[in-house]
Amino acid sequence: MTLYADTQQVAGDFYTNNFAKTAREGSLILNLGPQHPSTHGVLRVIVEMDGEYILRAEPVLGYLHRMHEKMAEVKTAAQFIPNMGRVDYGHALGWNWAFVGAVEKMAGIEVPERAEYVRVITSELNRIASHLLWWGAYLLDLGAFTPIMYAFDDREKILDILQMPTGSRLTYSYFRIGGVAQDLSEDCIKSIRDFIPWMRSRLPMYKDLVSDNIILRKRIEGIGVIEPAQCRAYGATGPVCRGSGIGYDVRRATPYSVFPKLDFEVPTSDLKDARGRYDVRMIEIEQSMRIIEQCLEQMPEGDVLVKGAPKPSWKVPKGEAYFAVEGARGKIGVYVVSDGGKNIYRTKLRAPGFCNLSLFAEVSQGTILADAVAILGSLDLIIPEIDR
Amino acid sequence: MDALFQGLALDYLARCDEAKTGKAWQVFLPASTLVKAAERLLAADYHIEDILAVDCAEGFVVTYHFDHFDKPGRVAIRVLAPHEAPVVPSIAGLFGGAEWHERETRDFHGVVFEGNPNFIPLLIDPDMADCFPLRKDPKSRVKTRDLLEAGEVVYCNPTFTLMAPDAPAEGHVSGGAKTATA
Repeated sequence: MTLYADTQQVAGDFYTNNFAKTAREGSLILNLGPQHPSTHGVLRVIVEMDGEYILRAEPVLGYLHRMHEKMAEVKTAAQFIPNMGRVDYGHALGWNWAFVGAVEKMAGIEVPERAEYVRVITSELNRIASHLLWWGAYLLDLGAFTPIMYAFDDREKILDILQMPTGSRLTYSYFRIGGVAQDLSEDCIKSIRDFIPWMRSRLPMYKDLVSDNIILRKRIEGIGVIEPAQCRAYGATGPVCRGSGIGYDVRRATPYSVFPKLDFEVPTSDLKDARGRYDVRMIEIEQSMRIIEQCLEQMPEGDVLVKGAPKPSWKVPKGEAYFAVEGARGKIGVYVVSDGGKNIYRTKLRAPGFCNLSLFAEVSQGTILADAVAILGSLDLIIPEIDR
Repeated sequence: MDALFQGLALDYLARCDEAKTGKAWQVFLPASTLVKAAERLLAADYHIEDILAVDCAEGFVVTYHFDHFDKPGRVAIRVLAPHEAPVVPSIAGLFGGAEWHERETRDFHGVVFEGNPNFIPLLIDPDMADCFPLRKDPKSRVKTRDLLEAGEVVYCNPTFTLMAPDAPAEGHVSGGAKTATA
């Protein structure tokens, strides 16, 4: 904690020295993070305080920056897939999909129908796991310790299921250009069928225990109101924009894969606050289960990888493509442009968390510090995704 | 899209194949028109997706992706920033989210966004912030027309030659073949 007396600077590093203070006298500059339990990894926020109130907040990024976009320049497309599992550990399959989808689009590769269903099932399971992780961690931020025990119990079951086809528990690299690495086994499908009714039976308990809890309600209702115009100016997507009443979901807006054949709702909330975002995510867990059930019904037999699928040394044909999928945190976009060479010429990763966090400075202005933590958590931040 | 940008000095406007490229429109603008175009997009309820640069032979092609929540259709706005003086006006005053995207583009390519309210390194350590990791070595830069999809041209300023196929006299083959390099 560094106290600044008027404009005379006493201490600080590059970021605090470049922090544009408001003109207010006697304000306090406080560093939140990078090592802080409520920052979900290593996010740092510099806040200028007037007593308990935030005058100005400025997130500082880069502590987990790995320059994935440079790595894409020195690897072939197939070699780059494992990087995608490491961009966002919460919804790794969403990133898998965005990248292979962009490359498939450019090369005009058709994915076998069964593979499309397998992709939907696994990525929706991953979305539930991601929402459960958020739910537990968010309540932990707000001072409720117990829910994360329940959330991790359920999430563990999903990790066990996803471990069967993918071989890993967190940083999946399961999708391939032209399909997926392997089919879902009988055991795996049975586990999914068992998991869904079980998870359904847990949701009412979550609601009774937590969602309707008066302490939680006081912490999140009316906190962190985000207007639709702010969502547009900052490019906020996913549960953040749906919690502000914008019914935008990439699975519906620009349908990909087999989503047009599936019946599911895109939940929105007009509350615009942390409560709205909370509600949207809880309903999304139910909707994802509906999607998985339909997929298990409709899934045809067949291959899960296209014949003659690209080898690791395969060169992406010349051209450019932008492909977006709906991740747990919003629109995951991958833009690739290739000159037909060994490696892709330029790969751009659009991280939804990056855009969602960028509006934090504006939204947290004027709130008390404890509420700022509630707002930060309600954005569902995965720092490695933001820093890439 | 032509109606939205009515009266603005555009260089190039093309309709793109959404199924193949993922975008509906591609627009090249001179840097001086950028802020006005962003104003129009903001007024038409577009949201910003991302900003990136591609290092091409002619300069950095700074690309702004916009999309619409109710009427999806991605628009790519492009500005060419020359290698010697890559300066582009900032649109952070209109789209708040652009501030971070612009700072990231500075970190990766060294493009300067004039008017960005807080133009300090975002992702890269300040001590090594001038290494610009995504800048390509001049020999491996590819020409814009060989890299980007031309699309179905709706309007092209006669003085704008960035996307035009090379004249045969120069020894290039139109339609994508790269210039032979030793």
